[in-house]
Amino acid sequence: MSNAIEIERLSYRAGKTFAIEDLDLHVPTGSIYGFLGPNGSGKTTTIRLILGLLRARAGRITVLGDAMPAQHARVLAHVGYVPEQPHLDATLTVQELIDFQAAFYPRWDQARAAELVSRFELDAGQLFGRLSKGQKAKLMMLLALAQCGDLLVLDEPTDGLDPVVRRDILSALLAYVSERSATIFISSHLVHELERVCDWVAVMDNGRLIIESPMETFKRGIKRLTVSGAPRELRDAPFRMLRRESENGAGESWVVANWEPGMLAYVQGLGAVVNDVIDLDLEDGFVELLRSFRGSAAGRTTP
Amino acid sequence: MFQGVDPRSSIPLYAQIAERIRLAIANGTLSSAASLPSVRQLAAELRINPATVTQAYRELEEQGFVEIRHGAGTFVRELAPGRRARERAQHAAALVRKLLAEARRAGVPLAELQRALESELGVKST
Repeated sequence: MSNAIEIERLSYRAGKTFAIEDLDLHVPTGSIYGFLGPNGSGKTTTIRLILGLLRARAGRITVLGDAMPAQHARVLAHVGYVPEQPHLDATLTVQELIDFQAAFYPRWDQARAAELVSRFELDAGQLFGRLSKGQKAKLMMLLALAQCGDLLVLDEPTDGLDPVVRRDILSALLAYVSERSATIFISSHLVHELERVCDWVAVMDNGRLIIESPMETFKRGIKRLTVSGAPRELRDAPFRMLRRESENGAGESWVVANWEPGMLAYVQGLGAVVNDVIDLDLEDGFVELLRSFRGSAAGRTTP
Repeated sequence: MFQGVDPRSSIPLYAQIAERIRLAIANGTLSSAASLPSVRQLAAELRINPATVTQAYRELEEQGFVEIRHGAGTFVRELAPGRRARERAQHAAALVRKLLAEARRAGVPLAELQRALESELGVKST
């Protein structure tokens, strides 16, 4: 089984305004897969479809080798999930919630749960409703890790938390990955955090997947070029032009994807001079991709 | 050893980590038979994917710098004479390339760069 999650030609509609169309997604087994996208892009909806909490109109979802939602009972026994909003009973204590969760999972790791209670400095007797935001997030992560799943689906597990809590949660997650070769599917706005840990990255906007790529390939291919003397029309460009602007003075600034060093020859072949090739980080790349995608979606032409 | 490893750089993290370790071996910080931190330990310390650390260690093994003994850990190998010096020379060349690229980007002419280098080194130019 080479993919822990596989989605093919998925479509889903909620009301008249929001739709997911023709979504394809492949999450390699053993990867830490970062799922990026602005608010309202469909990340949480996609996650809920993966877990069988929503029904698609068309398409195929396979999780850990089994079809969803048909095999949801079997699949969910092996999937840890941290939802965007903590949904636990506010009148139960931390220990009661742990015991309650444990009853559903045959592979529940009692020792790990106890270890995480102390590492996260949680008070086992405290009511869930009385926990701080950070403590709630830690408990949600504890519950997901202690069930020893082969796949963890994390919906913004650290967004809106302070840096100390974020580090604690991330460390616990990485320790888990070190011990078990689990697959992690993580959606977040914290681009720099994803850049640290993820080996795959996908970007969604407005219900569509814009890119899915190994992190390294994506980052290696996205560059800002300063160019002068390029013709208006580029024929058969071997890269993808995300943005092209003339700078003050002579040159132009290009933002390109799928760039390789050998492509300098192509640009020089146009009679142009490349003055500089500048690396972009994941955040810049993400923003440029979205801008380009929205530009073309709005019917404007991108050169 | 791993100060300044930058996830935002376009140089892949595993390559940055491997580079740091090669350098530590080249300058003697890590001597022969020294053990590297475990994958789990280093991943936790740098808050990165354990697979990234594994990839760095594998690259170092392929290049003959370390030996991965399963269950025991990763250890620096005995290097052929001259290899450490060669490694340091390569690193020096890479530093100079970086400096030259920065200077070009900032529009600093070569002659001025050379003068600055000499004055920093305390060399009197004639």
